[in-house]
Amino acid sequence: MSDTAHPAATIHAVEEYTVQDEPYYLPIGDEVALFEMAYEQRIPVLLKGPTGAGKTRFVEYMAYRLARPVTRVSTATGKTAEHRMPLITVACHEDLTASDLVGRYLLDTDGTHWVDGPLTRAVKVGAICYLDEVVEARKDTTVLIHPLTDYRRLLPIEKLGQVVEAADGFLLVISYNPGYQSALKDLKHSTRQRFIAIEFGYPPREQEAEIISHESGCDRAQALDLAKLGEKVRNLREHGLGEGVSTRLLIYAGRLMKKGIPARRACQVAITWALTDDAEIQRSIEEVATSIFE
Amino acid sequence: MSVISELIARHRERLSGFPAPLEQHFEAALRALAPRLSPSQLQQWTETGVELTGLSLRSWEAALEYFRASAAFPENTTWDAIEHLGREAVSMATESAPLAVSFLRSTPGVIETIGPNHLRQWADLGRRLYKGNWKSSSLAAQFYDLGPGVFKVLRPSQAARLVLFIDELSRHSYELASACLSSSPTVLERLDEDDRLPYLAFAVELAQSSWADSRLYFERGVPLIHKVHGPVRERYLLLSAQVARGHNRSAFQYFEEAALALGELEPDDHQQVVELAEQLAPYSPYAAMDFVTSVPRVLERIRVDELEPWHAAGLKILQASHDGGEAYFRLQSTRGEDILDTLSARVELNRVGEILRLYCKALTARNVTVQTTAALAEKGIGWVDEHRASTEGSAIYLPEVMERYHDKADNFAAFKVFATHQAGHLEFGSFEFDFDRPGNIFETSRVAIAEEMGESKAFTEIEHFFDLFPDRDMASDLYTIAEDSRVDGAIRREYGGIRRPLRSMQREELTKRPDVTRLPLRNAFVENLVRSSLDGIDAVLWPRSRAEVMSQALGVLQALANEGALVEDAAEATLRLYKLAASIPNIYEDVPDWESVEPIEGAEGMSMEAGEMGGEGGSAKMGDVGEGEQDYESPQDVDFRGDFKPELVELLMKLRKDAQGGDAGEMSPQQLTPEQLQELLEKSADIDLDALMEGDLDATTGMFMSNLMKEAGTPQTDDGPQKGDKTGDDSTGQGEGDEALIPIVTVYYYDEWDFRAQDYKPRWCAVKESKLEQGEEDFYENALREHAGLVAQTRKQFELMKPELFRKIKRLPDGEDFDLDAAIEWMTERRAGASPSDKIYWRRNKIERDVAVAFLIDMSASTDEEINKREKKYDDDDYDDDPRKYLSWWVSKRRQELSSPPKRIIDLEKESTVLLMTALETIGDQYGIYGFSGYGRDNVEFFVIKDFDEGLDQPIKRRLDKITPIRSTRMGPAIRHATHKLNLTDAKVKILFLLSDGRPQDHGYGRDRTEKEYAIHDTKQALNEAKREGITPFALTVDRAGHDYLKTMCEDMGYEVVADIESLPSRLPALYRRLTE
Repeated sequence: MSDTAHPAATIHAVEEYTVQDEPYYLPIGDEVALFEMAYEQRIPVLLKGPTGAGKTRFVEYMAYRLARPVTRVSTATGKTAEHRMPLITVACHEDLTASDLVGRYLLDTDGTHWVDGPLTRAVKVGAICYLDEVVEARKDTTVLIHPLTDYRRLLPIEKLGQVVEAADGFLLVISYNPGYQSALKDLKHSTRQRFIAIEFGYPPREQEAEIISHESGCDRAQALDLAKLGEKVRNLREHGLGEGVSTRLLIYAGRLMKKGIPARRACQVAITWALTDDAEIQRSIEEVATSIFE
Repeated sequence: MSVISELIARHRERLSGFPAPLEQHFEAALRALAPRLSPSQLQQWTETGVELTGLSLRSWEAALEYFRASAAFPENTTWDAIEHLGREAVSMATESAPLAVSFLRSTPGVIETIGPNHLRQWADLGRRLYKGNWKSSSLAAQFYDLGPGVFKVLRPSQAARLVLFIDELSRHSYELASACLSSSPTVLERLDEDDRLPYLAFAVELAQSSWADSRLYFERGVPLIHKVHGPVRERYLLLSAQVARGHNRSAFQYFEEAALALGELEPDDHQQVVELAEQLAPYSPYAAMDFVTSVPRVLERIRVDELEPWHAAGLKILQASHDGGEAYFRLQSTRGEDILDTLSARVELNRVGEILRLYCKALTARNVTVQTTAALAEKGIGWVDEHRASTEGSAIYLPEVMERYHDKADNFAAFKVFATHQAGHLEFGSFEFDFDRPGNIFETSRVAIAEEMGESKAFTEIEHFFDLFPDRDMASDLYTIAEDSRVDGAIRREYGGIRRPLRSMQREELTKRPDVTRLPLRNAFVENLVRSSLDGIDAVLWPRSRAEVMSQALGVLQALANEGALVEDAAEATLRLYKLAASIPNIYEDVPDWESVEPIEGAEGMSMEAGEMGGEGGSAKMGDVGEGEQDYESPQDVDFRGDFKPELVELLMKLRKDAQGGDAGEMSPQQLTPEQLQELLEKSADIDLDALMEGDLDATTGMFMSNLMKEAGTPQTDDGPQKGDKTGDDSTGQGEGDEALIPIVTVYYYDEWDFRAQDYKPRWCAVKESKLEQGEEDFYENALREHAGLVAQTRKQFELMKPELFRKIKRLPDGEDFDLDAAIEWMTERRAGASPSDKIYWRRNKIERDVAVAFLIDMSASTDEEINKREKKYDDDDYDDDPRKYLSWWVSKRRQELSSPPKRIIDLEKESTVLLMTALETIGDQYGIYGFSGYGRDNVEFFVIKDFDEGLDQPIKRRLDKITPIRSTRMGPAIRHATHKLNLTDAKVKILFLLSDGRPQDHGYGRDRTEKEYAIHDTKQALNEAKREGITPFALTVDRAGHDYLKTMCEDMGYEVVADIESLPSRLPALYRRLTE
């Protein structure tokens, strides 16, 4: 939030993170084609699915596919030197306000000056703006989302008394995790009915194994076992595990295994302990892991 | 002769004044003694006798006995002894003639047993009992009377111990002493000689500490002590004596319980147990006895050789704290439980059930429950074996305990192998057999065979399949082997980690198999298949001359372990195995060349022709027993695979599905008719009719059917025992609904804190939760009306508290926008050259009120007290001792009472609750209202008036009316249960509000009735636990004396004493407001 608190670190990250190579993404269904069509028609997209299912990776992959180098800007960052900034990801949290997205006046040596927020930047340069976990943000952000997602494609900047017409390349993509948030934080219908929704589930065992082995470099058999473990643990979803183990965690476990950590130990630190603090469920998961791995 | 006549003559005159027998006995004795004594001795003897007659009014009787005894003296009695007896007699008769009579009467008998030398000792023993009054004299006389009997069982030196005991008792009760004394010869006689003295030693201690128990000890002691192994009895009694020495009033109880406990053990173990107990005795004899008492229960969980470490751990605790150690050995300590648990190698299902349930759920992706095998047998739906693991489709049944190995981890692994196999049946689709679906490995032949047999009437698919076989039992065995090896194969492939324990269990099973070479051929064939399925191809033995058929069969079986094998493949394999088996005559083959067989490759290619099964007509070929053939017998069970009953499971699953409405569409739910079921009962190999039958077949079928329907109609849900509480869940009622006639009682168990032992007593209190019954609705409305003003006021106050969703916070280093004042300040300061504060932003912070509160209302009997009692005293003065005034005062008072009954504490508690509820409704906090009472630790009643998830509706308003004083106040468990309830809510702020009228007290809530510390400490601990869970406890009491104990109980927590109870209705909401603001 604070641009004065950690300026060096944030700006550094912006400069560093430009994905030059194609992000690895294994299509599970027709989501790639759907997104391409949606982008062509400039229809806003809602990505639904549990954490670690690959939503963010998908957006990066699509941004790359749509022939745009990708830049990640973290929330309410200050300046950035890039003109072409086609993908702006904003991780939403419960204190994220509209001005965090639009911009604000900052103090200067002799007065104040206006700094655009990430959304404003995206609108101006025509980028894909990806609002991750959008329901977490405060309700006033919807005021911004609505005019941007219908035929108007406008961003009102109240404090400047301006209205910005979105550049041609602009597209709003939001993500949302139906299982995770409490009932209070459900997405309002007036908001969700402005997007087409692409649903992300965990991939089937075979494909998940492929992803794990690609991302972690562990061998195929290990990856298959990890995918199997993932599948089994997800069966315990309602037992305080939120949504079960994410592909991301399975990949972490795979990486540890690749580096020679024994499989059971890798699963313990990357999966069991990461998932829950409940001793009984931990034990149960561990039993599943010890059944699968020798 | 002259001496005799002279003596007779000399004393005739004197003796003739007494009844005639005296003289006769005198003469008889004189004659008997004359040959042995010198004249002077005779004379002295005579004088002693005559002296006796003159001592008191009745002392002539003593003289008579003296003469009689003298006559009965054995030949070898010396003069010294006789002389001595005379002196004793005289001195005794001087004090009490009857005493001397008894003494003298028993003398001959006693002398016979102990010899004349101990005469004096004996006389002294009796004398010790004589205290100069008649009661003691009769007791002493009784002792003398019993003399011969006593000395038959005791040596004179030992008799002293008896006298000590009787003497001790006589201080408290002569009756008791006399009773014990009279029974002592028979009691002691029944004891072994060596045990008698220790037995008396304990008796003496008992008489000193709790004399009243002596009677019990004399009545029941002998059979009890006989329970103890002979060689250690003495040590055991000495140990018991140590307990009594501590002036413990329950010494006999300790003795009795421990003896009974020893009786449960092997006599050979007594020595060790008593030895271990002796080590404890120096620290606390009670702990020693408790240790002995607990041993049988402890040995249920650990082996004898583990007893010592358990003891050693307890000894250490005992050395540090007597109370702690005693609780440990009484098995009332959580530490003790933990140590037992660590020591014990066995694994109990109820401790690991939840883990295994989640494990199975993860594996199968179904909401399976894990239950004991006994529970399955109880259902009466076809499973009769109470020990073998199984599944019926919705639950996995496992044995209650696992104690095959000497290591906990191994036992758990065994549980896991059991569970994995059952879960495997579910995961790999053992019960999803589809008659028409082709398998992946074998070519489908059953459809063609079935077509030949014509229309099927089978209810389930698998039944249809088994209908193909003439010998259903064998088919079922083969199918079980095939399916089990398919499932085990899949488990081995999918779960690498389970391979090792599975392998070792298979190895172990293989060693338990019967000798295959002694079986008739067809049985041997099946046995070999079992061995092969246990991965024991090297254990297969078969006559060389017939190798081909076996080799084919093994090939078929092994093909099932391949990836992709389906349950249908197992069925096809069964067809092929059956065909092979049927080709083997079931005869004893007496050939020497039994050797191992290699499976052939490519057995999956083995084809089945339609017609090979023989069908209806050909069944004789295979079903009947041919010439010289043995009956086919099922192979011995494989333990870890448990009971596999595909027909029953599929039947149940189908019934369940139908009960839930069935599949919409093609399959209209087909009704299972009793006839169909009966047919199934008769033919299915899954069902052991003999074991199931308790009457005629029709009745059995009926019962079976209703059991099945019940099972199918109420599908298992995912609950199992509730998580989070430390309990099993014992619902005594079934079916939901507020209007249930019998309230549903759920029992939860909680630990209790023993502050002396500094440890929890495990699962000590049973909290019985039930909904409070409903009363009148008027109460709620009346209460509101009565306090209308207060209600309005409270509501208003609470409305003010209503959470503002956003609150603007200024002067922040970062925020939504500039705080104009701060910004201007900043600017001016900057211009002025000062260093301005950069906190110039404001932002709105979301304030979410997220409160859950549990009200715990004391419903103890003391709340019945009328509030006005105190004021009555003032009123009392009105009538000035004038009776007329008093009468009119009384009448008016009575009238007043009738028109409005006096308010009790509980009434005000209730009214305050109503007020608070309206306030809470206004503010929207989650709240639950609970009452508690009860009596004793097994019966803590916890009444739900309003649960967290209930809305304020009519039934709840009616329940409020039923808050009434009941019994005691065991606060600890009630608080723990309320804490548990609060923990189930997901509010950020959790409050536990305790409303009581006095200190906690209950039966057994402390050492004795008067002890207060125990209850207070437990309550304090319970409140602390709540605090640790992130709950804010608050105690409110209307007890004016509340300060002294609340100070201890709520050391660093909030509490308040409402001195003026009438102000409670206004005070309670106010307090609540303060607490949550």
